[in-house]
Amino acid sequence: MPWQTQDFAGNSAPMRLRESPLGLAVRRVLRKRSSRVAFFVLGVILLVGLLAPLIAPYDPAAQPDIVFGKSLPPSFAHPFGTDLYSRDVLSRVIYGARLSLMIGVLATIVSLTFGVAYGAVAGYAGGALDTVMMRVLDAFLSIPRLLLLIGVLVAWPDFSIGALVLFLGLTGWFGLSRIVRGQVLALKHAEFVTAAQALGASRRRILWRHLLPNLVSPIVVAATLGVAHVIVLEAGLSYIGIGVPPPLASWGNIIQEGADQVATLWWMSLFPGLFMVLTVMTLNILAEALSEAHARR
Amino acid sequence: MFRYIAQRLAQAAVIVAIVAAITFALIHLAPGDPFSATMENPNVSEAVRQTLRAQYGFDRPLPEQFVKYVNALAHGELGWSFSHERSVREVLATALPNTLLLMVVALVGSFALGIVIALVQVGRRGSATDHALSGVSLLFISMPDFWLALLTLLTFAYWLPLFPVGGAYDVMSEYWGFGHRVLDRLWHLALPALTLTALASAAVARYQRAALLDVLPADYIRTARLKGLTERQILRRHALRNALLPIITMIGLSFPALLTGTFFVEKIFSWPGMGYAVVTAIGTRDYQLVMGGVIIGSIMVTFGSLLADLLYALADPRLRR
Amino acid sequence: MTAPLLSIRDLRTWFYTEAGVARAVDGVSFDIGAGETLGLVGESGSGKSVTALSILRLIQPPGRIESGSVIEFDGRDIVTLGDDEIRDIRGNRISMIFQEPMSALNPVFTVGDQVAEVARVHASVSRREAWDRAVEMLALTGIPDAESRAKQYPHQLSGGMRQRVLIAMALMMKPALVIADEPTTALDVTIQAQILDLLVDLQKKIGTSILMITHDLGVIAETASRVIVMYAGEVVEQAEVDSLFAKPHHPYTEGLMHSMPHIGHDQERLNVIPGTVPAPTEWPSGCRFRERCPYSWDRCQTEHPPLYQIGEDHVSRCHLAIEPDRRNHPHPPVVVEAGVAAA
Repeated sequence: MPWQTQDFAGNSAPMRLRESPLGLAVRRVLRKRSSRVAFFVLGVILLVGLLAPLIAPYDPAAQPDIVFGKSLPPSFAHPFGTDLYSRDVLSRVIYGARLSLMIGVLATIVSLTFGVAYGAVAGYAGGALDTVMMRVLDAFLSIPRLLLLIGVLVAWPDFSIGALVLFLGLTGWFGLSRIVRGQVLALKHAEFVTAAQALGASRRRILWRHLLPNLVSPIVVAATLGVAHVIVLEAGLSYIGIGVPPPLASWGNIIQEGADQVATLWWMSLFPGLFMVLTVMTLNILAEALSEAHARR
Repeated sequence: MFRYIAQRLAQAAVIVAIVAAITFALIHLAPGDPFSATMENPNVSEAVRQTLRAQYGFDRPLPEQFVKYVNALAHGELGWSFSHERSVREVLATALPNTLLLMVVALVGSFALGIVIALVQVGRRGSATDHALSGVSLLFISMPDFWLALLTLLTFAYWLPLFPVGGAYDVMSEYWGFGHRVLDRLWHLALPALTLTALASAAVARYQRAALLDVLPADYIRTARLKGLTERQILRRHALRNALLPIITMIGLSFPALLTGTFFVEKIFSWPGMGYAVVTAIGTRDYQLVMGGVIIGSIMVTFGSLLADLLYALADPRLRR
Repeated sequence: MTAPLLSIRDLRTWFYTEAGVARAVDGVSFDIGAGETLGLVGESGSGKSVTALSILRLIQPPGRIESGSVIEFDGRDIVTLGDDEIRDIRGNRISMIFQEPMSALNPVFTVGDQVAEVARVHASVSRREAWDRAVEMLALTGIPDAESRAKQYPHQLSGGMRQRVLIAMALMMKPALVIADEPTTALDVTIQAQILDLLVDLQKKIGTSILMITHDLGVIAETASRVIVMYAGEVVEQAEVDSLFAKPHHPYTEGLMHSMPHIGHDQERLNVIPGTVPAPTEWPSGCRFRERCPYSWDRCQTEHPPLYQIGEDHVSRCHLAIEPDRRNHPHPPVVVEAGVAAA
């Protein structure tokens, strides 16, 4: 419609100086009710994880009564029931939140670092090196992340949580590096780079100054989605036995332990899953709102 | 057109080669010798050990091992599975058709359902139905595949015993007539296929909805309106046909996720496919089988995406020339 | 005087945006007779395109045709018609060609298919019949080798040919009225002339009326018999083509005429009308052109001018009609005095 695209600038809103694109995006995100709710719920879950030792009603590792206290369905004393070793499932889910979220965040940090570095190098170098790096990237993208992780983790029979985080992180940077590379390439050829060079600035300095602001939004979106993916992935790995080792509690672990008797120990499958879905949903909502806000700027 | 096909095939070949290199690196970077489980297993015959030694050249310098490895792959040799007491190739060859069946059914089902949902949503944009469906889609894409599978199993095989608890067919089905056997197969296929389809269609619906909304402001949509077409006709004939193109790309990009989902679903429903074999092999530390699964899975994904690219080139008249 | 084909009375199309209510079309009335070509002139922002879209009820939210507007056609009021009825008119009794032939055709269907679709929608004909009719129409619009061109896709045709396809599409059902919104603006100058000739030719053959919307007075001179000049959502002048070119009354029309460069005239600078169209969310009080007008005086600020009759079939929305000697005292327009940069 001709009128809708016309700019009415100058007649209404006053100009606000010093608005960073990220600040604007976040503000636009928070304007939507769904985002505010998601933010709140996510905050609650994060808080639960952080304050686990204070909130959990029982010690997640305690096995008080392995004869009569095991495999109890949900009750007032144990809202999420007990598991095969008479451990309280609610406490384990709370501690699971802590562990799963921590793994999610740390692994994503690894992914981001690697992704930005790889993409920036490929974009900046250009030419043959760029092509080779992109082909290798394509190959990695062809191996489903789960399979890659299975391949790696089966070979290392005893790995620590740290190693798990590392591997999860090292398998999740592919998409982001593509985006970063694209931005670097676009910037390399942008006109203002030549203009700034004419004023005496070095190429590297210009790229650095102009690269980051453009990348902040995609990085934040990628990070949010990344955490969601890692949480689900870690749960999946724990479920097939190559994730978080027992007796530690992660959401996937709890499900795995109850999987053999899924019909009788249904609470062990249901509740951790519900928390996972809730967490992932909020992350998805926020990521979507953020990328919409970035696209409409 | 043919040049394009040749190009893509060459690219796919390069990617498979790199995948082989990556898996080779994985095998040899791991602590301990992944072949030792097989080699030192007393149940494995000497003949097999000889074959393996010749194929992979243990104790030879690494570059030579790599060449032998790629050579073996090129001939379809993937090693020996001690837990099945058969070659990896045999195990996977029997399992693969089951996986393909599941994946194809889920693929077709999810795209059909996803497109229908997207059309409904765009046709009633902004209505309660639209919002509800968006919410449901969001819910489903946030679910871990294995969790939904567990819940489905719980609900429809235990609490409401409508479907079998697992497997691909009834043990007694050998004695049944053809029709009965087909029905039995379908009955067993139902739950795993439905689970996968539900998960995948949520993603398709979201994507297709966005693609349709992208297309709607286009000038040619206005032309269609000027001709006197109903909104429904415009949506289905003009908008959809254009919005299907990005979906074809999505098909290619969705294979990794679909394969991953299939792996979990197979395990939970005891569906005798590649995923089931690999996941069980993880438990028994049958490394060769696991690696074989990884390689085959990667090749499947590469060719799936290749097919999607070709389909796109066929579907877009602008590329056909 | 025979009844007009289309009669628009007090059309108001307003857009309800975040920035305010944009009164894009604010009280426009005119008639189109059968078989005539009516020109509608104005710069971008005058409301001419919105008028055209309103006729076919193609205004989408946040835009709305305000109640009280009447568009009479075939004895019925288009504004109040049901959805089915308006779809019956579109492409069939009234059709439209607009500016961008590049993007107006669907890239995934053949050209022939898209033209034939009009027939399939409005007439119960078989696919074969519709296709044949489409090829006929394409040939009529001067596309060489129409039979094989019809099987091609839009990206395989040049801009001029695509416009011919759109014309064929518009004329398939031999409509009573064709609205042409800047049909030649996006085309090369040489092709422009061809397309205009084609339109005039087809009009004679089929007998349809044409509403020719453009900002280019040259196009008007070539094709129209009557002209309407629009500014700021209103009709500001209406006359026969010859009268308008010979003696334009409204200062805006004058300005338009003067800004047309003439071959053979030595000009150092292009004449422009100083200032720009005001924002449709805030039309100025009184006469909407006063800030850019070289003749305006205090009455222009306080009284909104009605359409004065200044000759037979010639009306003008300007107070100069009642105080004509103000025309002898031009002054720099308000907008230049205030120091706002000229367009």
